[in-house]
Order: sequence, then C-alpha cells, then structure tokens
Amino acid sequence: MSDAPVIVHADDLYAGYLPGIDILNGCSMEVREGELIGIIGPNGAGKSTFLKSLFGLVPIRTGTVKLGEEDITNKRADDLVKRGIGFVPQNNNVFPSLTVAENLEMGAYQRPKMFKEQMGRIGELFPKLIERKDQRAGSLSGGERQMVAMARALMMNPSVLLLDEPSAGLSPDRQDETFVRTREINKTGVTVIMVEQNARRCLQICDRGYVLDQGTTAYTATGQELLKDPKVIELYLGTLGA
Amino acid sequence: MTNRIDRRVVLRALIVLVVAAAAVTFLGSLGSSAVASTPEVASYAAGATSDATAGITQANTIHAEAVSDDGSTETNRYLQQFVNGIVFGLLLALASVGLSLIYGTTGLSNFAHGEQVSLGALLTFFFTTQQTVSIPFVPVEFTIGWPLIPSALVAIVLAAGTGWLQDRFLWSPLRRRRVSIVQQMIVSIGLSLALLNFIQWWFGAERQRLSTSIDTRIDFGMFEVGQSTLWSVSISVICLGAVAFFLLKTRTGRATRAVSDNPALASASGIRVERVIRLVWIMATGLAAIGGILLAIYDNAAAFDVGARLLLLMFAAVTLGGLGQAFGALVGSLVIGVAVEMSTLWLGTDLKYAVALAILILVLLVRPQGILGRAERVG
Repeated sequence: MSDAPVIVHADDLYAGYLPGIDILNGCSMEVREGELIGIIGPNGAGKSTFLKSLFGLVPIRTGTVKLGEEDITNKRADDLVKRGIGFVPQNNNVFPSLTVAENLEMGAYQRPKMFKEQMGRIGELFPKLIERKDQRAGSLSGGERQMVAMARALMMNPSVLLLDEPSAGLSPDRQDETFVRTREINKTGVTVIMVEQNARRCLQICDRGYVLDQGTTAYTATGQELLKDPKVIELYLGTLGA
Repeated sequence: MTNRIDRRVVLRALIVLVVAAAAVTFLGSLGSSAVASTPEVASYAAGATSDATAGITQANTIHAEAVSDDGSTETNRYLQQFVNGIVFGLLLALASVGLSLIYGTTGLSNFAHGEQVSLGALLTFFFTTQQTVSIPFVPVEFTIGWPLIPSALVAIVLAAGTGWLQDRFLWSPLRRRRVSIVQQMIVSIGLSLALLNFIQWWFGAERQRLSTSIDTRIDFGMFEVGQSTLWSVSISVICLGAVAFFLLKTRTGRATRAVSDNPALASASGIRVERVIRLVWIMATGLAAIGGILLAIYDNAAAFDVGARLLLLMFAAVTLGGLGQAFGALVGSLVIGVAVEMSTLWLGTDLKYAVALAILILVLLVRPQGILGRAERVG
C-alpha cells in the first residue's frame, strides 16, 4: 500500500434499497490518493450497491463514508459531484436525446466555464468523441456510450471516479479498450474505484482489489496477490486463474 | 426530448396531416348525407363545434352561411376550417407543451392540467370584469376591472405560482417518499376534480367573457381571421418559440432535457433535479394559463370546465407527438387541431373527439413511438 493520504474511507456500512432489508452488512474500504481499486465478487454480493452507497444513491443506515476528512455519508449525488466525485453507472449512462457535446456539457453543469477547458483533455483521452460531438448519444454503440459516460464524469475534473461495471455488455475488444482507458485516466492522477464482473481483467490492471461476499468485504490485497490467491481463483476466477 | 426539428420530422408531420385529412374526408363521404347534406347545416356544425372547443366565432359562422350559395364556398370552407384548425392547434399546443414537459421530467400524467387552463382564463376574468367579485372564504365583494393585458399578466403569474405551490407542497413530497407514478396519477385525478369543483364554486357554471369589445375580422381572400385571433396566434407562436429556445439554447433548458432523459444520471452529473422539476412545474402551469386566456379570447368566453374538456385532446396531442417530447406536443396539437376542426365539415360535432382519438390510434399503430418519438438503439 502506498503512503499517499487516504482519500475515501468507508467504515462498516450497512445499506439497502428497501427499509429493513440490508444488502451491505458491514462493508469497509480505505482508498489512497491515486490508487486504482477493483471491487470483485459473485453476483448479488453487493458490489454495485456498495459503489452506489458511496455516491449517495443507496441510503446508508449505519456506518460512515469520508472523503478526505469530510463526512459525506448520505450526501446528495449532485453535492458529491461538487466535492470532486464522478460516477459512471452501469446502465443508462448517457442522455440519449442529447448530442455527445451536450452530454459532456451536462457533466460540467455546475461549473460551465470548465466545459471548454476540459474539452481539450477529453479530446486527448477520447479523440473519437470529438469527431462525433454533434451526434445524438442514443445512436452510439455500447462502447461509444461508455466513452461518453466516462468523459461526462471527468468533466468536473474529479479527484475520485467511481465506475460501475464499465465493461459490461461490451465485446472483448471494447472491454480491453475500456480497461486501458481506465488505467490512462488513473495515471492522470484520478483515484478510480471500479466494480467489475470481469474479475481477472480488473485485477490485472488495479493496484488493489476488494473481494465482496454476501454484503461484506471478505478480504483485500494487491491485484497481483489476489490473482494468485487460491481461494479467489477457485471462487471467482475459475481453474485457469493464473 | 429531441434536440432539433429536422426535415424528416416536418415531413412526417405533413404526412400525418395529409393522412388525417384523407381519413376525415373518407369518413365524411360515408356520413355526409346523414349529417351535413347542405352547406347551411355544415356551416352550423362548424360553428357549433368551435363554440364548444374554441373553434370559429359567431361572426365566422355568419360569414360561412352568407357565402354558402357561392361556387367557391367549398374551397373557402375547407381552407377556413384548416386555418381554424391550425389556430386551435397552436393554442392547444401551449397547454400540451406543459403537460409534456411534466410527463418528460417526472413521468406523471397530470390529469389536473386542464384545470390550470381554466384557472388562467378565469383568473383573468376575475381581474378584468366590471362585475363585483370576491375571493373564496373572504366575505367582501369588490370590483377590480383592470384592462385585459395587466389582468392576463397577473393571472399568468398567479397560475405559475400555483405550479410552484403544487410542486413544493404536493408533488415534491410525494416523489421524496417514493410514491409510485400510478399513485401520483390517481392523486392528480383527485386534484383535478377538487380544482374543477373549486373553480365552479368560485366563478359559477356560466360562461364568462374576458372582453366585451367586438372583434374586427381581417379578410385574407380565401379565409378570414379575427384580429384578436391573430394576436392570440402571434403570442402563442412567440411563447412556443421561447420554450424551444429555452430547451435548445440555454444550459438550464438542456438540463431539463437531460432530466427528461434520465433523472438519476442527471443527478449524478451534478444537476439539481428537484430544482429543474420545480421550474418545469412553474413553466407548465404558466403556459397552460396563457393557453387558457388565449383560448378564452378566441372563443369569446370561458367556463369552469373549459380545461377539463380539453384534457383528452391535450393527452391525445402529447401521445401523438411522442410522449415526453416537447416539440412532439406542438406537432401533435397541430394535427389534433386540424383534425378536430376539419372533421366538423363532414361529421357531427359529437364525433369531433372521436376523430382526434381515431387519428391517435391510427398513428400509434403505424408509429408506436409517436410522430417525433425516436426508437432508441439498445446496447
């Protein structure tokens, strides 16, 4: 683990969509600045719920989430965007009737002046989007939509980016591209926390991984260590793990 | 919501208009002998329809009757009714656009929207009439008697204020408590009935005139239009243009379209969704009030149930244009307006709503997403 200061700290979270039904039963996480964190686990383990609870989209019943020293438990999503957290949902992650440029503008809604400044950076990361800036996002392919979604979340220059299964539904080529982009974004200094179904690919690129099981963080280690961990191989990666 | 009206969209709307006109003509040829075999009856039918919905004025009816012997009357009547349809469609669009915006941003089919139309018209009457008036629960009678324009402006502001009040104290708490859309719709039906009865109790059941001045009619050769109607149409076009400008060219307008597309993602992008929805309620109720006032001027008077009778046509217009599409509501309203007005040339006035709804069904069978609705790519 690096010596960088802790930027996101989730402590013993209990959360769920419906009253009285908890999906998270004690999830904890500590993320340091500049890290790329992967969250893996079986279906129904609560990975997406965990990510959404960090972003205020699922009510947290007990436990706290801190951004730096600031308590951000159950803050509104638009408030968290202002504080420097970006979120890319798994599904419906673009505004289909808006053009690509308008989608990106919405990403910088709170600071309109940032829109033009950020377009240059987005052009470097996603040159294809600049070519298609006047095209309706609803007419783009899944991979292109994913790019728009990531770019939109980066418009406010967030310090932390939350990605909910960015490779879901994409072809293997597009999946690879998404992972490469994610790593590139991380290298520009953005702390990334990603939930992934493609556990092996996720662990290959991430600095550290958290394994979730039945709503609790079962264990954590570096991506490489988890890739070699017999239990992780048996449960989540299959026999061809390493 | 769509972000632009391209040529294909205009073409689609034209095709629907032509198909609608053809369908009405075909139906008319089947039933014309029974319903409107003489020009006089047809003219009467046209006049009666308009009286009920905001169609042609009394003067127009007289005109149609006066020229009924002339060989050119047929063209004249067709064109006159077509123009009346466009006028009615534009005024209907003011009310429908608000309904569509509310549906787009919240998913709610607001059944109480008709009463907002009535409220606009009757609040204007309240401020402009020379008769004594009173406020509910206040046992004091007084006369205001302001000129029409200041009265209308105050009425619009007050009606828009009711939109703010409704969202602040009713719809927003319901959304916060995650009350389902169907339940909210039932609440809106209840609110509609409550408002309807309240307005009737306040203003009475009789038709109230907003203006006592006699309208001058301007002759365009093939058709004629009242001067006040021209003003109404101009105001309507300006208001609709302003809404289009707001949605397409302003940041808040684009955010409104974003909320319409996906409220959760809008929130995750940093947009204050609740604020946008509050603004939409204010705009929608304000536009409905403008629509109500202009319809009342066009129709010479308004009754407590003018909005309630228009509600079905508004829903038809919004659905026909494409649910949640602000520009769809405009196109849908024009199609409905023309269909309703032109059908009265051949069919009984009792069938005018049936024609509008038959066209709605026909269009949806061919184009389920409505005229401007777009089928989205999946994945």
